[in-house]
Amino acid sequence: MSSVRQRYPEHFQRFGRDRFVMAAIGFGLFALLIYAMGRLGFFDGTLLSGLGRLFEIVGLMLPPDPGSWAHVKIYSISLLETVAIALLGTLSAAVLALPVALLAARNVTAQRIVRFLSRRSLDTIRSVDILVWALIWINVVGLGPFAGALAIMTADIGSFGKLFSEAIEAADRKPVEGITSTGGSHILGIRFGILPEVFPVLMSQILYYFESNTRSASIIGIVGAGGIGLHLAEAIRTLELQQTSFIVLMILVAVAAIDFLSSKLRFAMIGRRGGVAV
Amino acid sequence: MGRVVLRLEGVTKSFGGKSAVDSVSLTVPVGQLVGVIGRSGAGKSTLLRMINRLGEPTSGRILFGDTDVTALRGRPLRAWRARCAMIFQQFNLAGRLDVLTNVLMGRAFHMPPSRALLKMWTDDEKAQALSALESLDMARLAGQRAETLSGGQQQRVAIARALVQEPDIVLADEPIASLDPRNTKVVMDALQHINRHLGITVICNLHSLDLARSYCDRLVGMSGGRVVFDGAPAALTDATARDLYGLEAGDVVGHAAPPPMLPAGAQPGFALAGS
Repeated sequence: MSSVRQRYPEHFQRFGRDRFVMAAIGFGLFALLIYAMGRLGFFDGTLLSGLGRLFEIVGLMLPPDPGSWAHVKIYSISLLETVAIALLGTLSAAVLALPVALLAARNVTAQRIVRFLSRRSLDTIRSVDILVWALIWINVVGLGPFAGALAIMTADIGSFGKLFSEAIEAADRKPVEGITSTGGSHILGIRFGILPEVFPVLMSQILYYFESNTRSASIIGIVGAGGIGLHLAEAIRTLELQQTSFIVLMILVAVAAIDFLSSKLRFAMIGRRGGVAV
Repeated sequence: MGRVVLRLEGVTKSFGGKSAVDSVSLTVPVGQLVGVIGRSGAGKSTLLRMINRLGEPTSGRILFGDTDVTALRGRPLRAWRARCAMIFQQFNLAGRLDVLTNVLMGRAFHMPPSRALLKMWTDDEKAQALSALESLDMARLAGQRAETLSGGQQQRVAIARALVQEPDIVLADEPIASLDPRNTKVVMDALQHINRHLGITVICNLHSLDLARSYCDRLVGMSGGRVVFDGAPAALTDATARDLYGLEAGDVVGHAAPPPMLPAGAQPGFALAGS
């Protein structure tokens, strides 16, 4: 034992320098957190008194109640509109992002300048938030669900472009090499060597974004881009808190349903047998 | 010896100053089954990849008949690759595509790209791919995804892909290094069959000296990027074999000189594959 210890002393140090540095960094970050919370007023009583008010509001929300059947009908149609905005926005973003992602992926595009430009343009799109896009599109095409779908589309082209290009770059290079070795062109290598391999990854990303965009779509509804968000904002503003909680529950159910369906869909496409081969 | 087809002239490949392949000159006539032997890092894979032009030689020339393979670009280069099929240690199939599509990739060069991209294979192409699979006893798995098959089956798919290329040469880069002994025999028998019955030149990298001796017409021994033996299997003496496989101390990629001899009595460490 002692001879092994002599040969590899670095593995026997109980409190090495690395460990000390890590502990110091962790402690520093914690101190920073406490300081920042203090500056924001976490400890001067507003939170405690606010807590009581929070319970009061939650109490007013119960039980969830739409008020009337007419409301239920209106809310359901708006919710469907929200889901439609999310679906349309997500799909069009995915379709538009794929070519840009291919241009941005190192194993697809050899030209550095093309890669650089497509990456930077994706960054630019991504740096603008979905809410800002919604406000911009409302000015362009007017209020309504069309603006909402466009907002989701533009915001997600940036995210999809980045995610897709990273998935493509992480693809195994061996199938492509196999196709290259037969005399197949670069395009064929991408079509048959890369795309089928990354297809499940892209699909699950798209499905996740569809679910997440259903939530986003209810937010952008607040600024007037169609869907359930408008009713949600209205209910909060008029302090119809029971209606508010009803709408929140509806969104919750919709998102859960989408989550359930998308996981079914994903397994159907990725599953071991009989799946879709692109 | 028949008509000279493949000629390597002083082929060298350097990575950052070290030579993985160091001025290799070889002449391979039509219809030979050549085994390239040597330890890992001896430059065998690098050499084969340069013949298919998956790797670019740093210097030297590779000639096929009168064609300078090393000077090819664009479509003529792809035409050369189509004539010079390659089989890989890790099969290099598209795992999520079915077996038939993977085999049809071997015809990709000969189709208009638009048709290939849309997977619009003709009946002739499908028939050719299926009969190639049939000859390897794989036709019944044609509809399965490649990734669901065993290693031995995947390698047979890769061989079928090589066959439908209708190649002049088949290069096999450690085709059996990931396989069990039974599949090793199936794959080596298939390569031998391609060579004997279809008259295709086969150049095969092998770890295992025993396999190389029993299957190949000619052995090329590489060490430190250089050819240190070239001749019939019977001519490979124990001393040369020790030269090729012995002594770990000389195990540096791009070692300029062949590693020194082992002391007498030391066991040569060959037959690594399948163990």
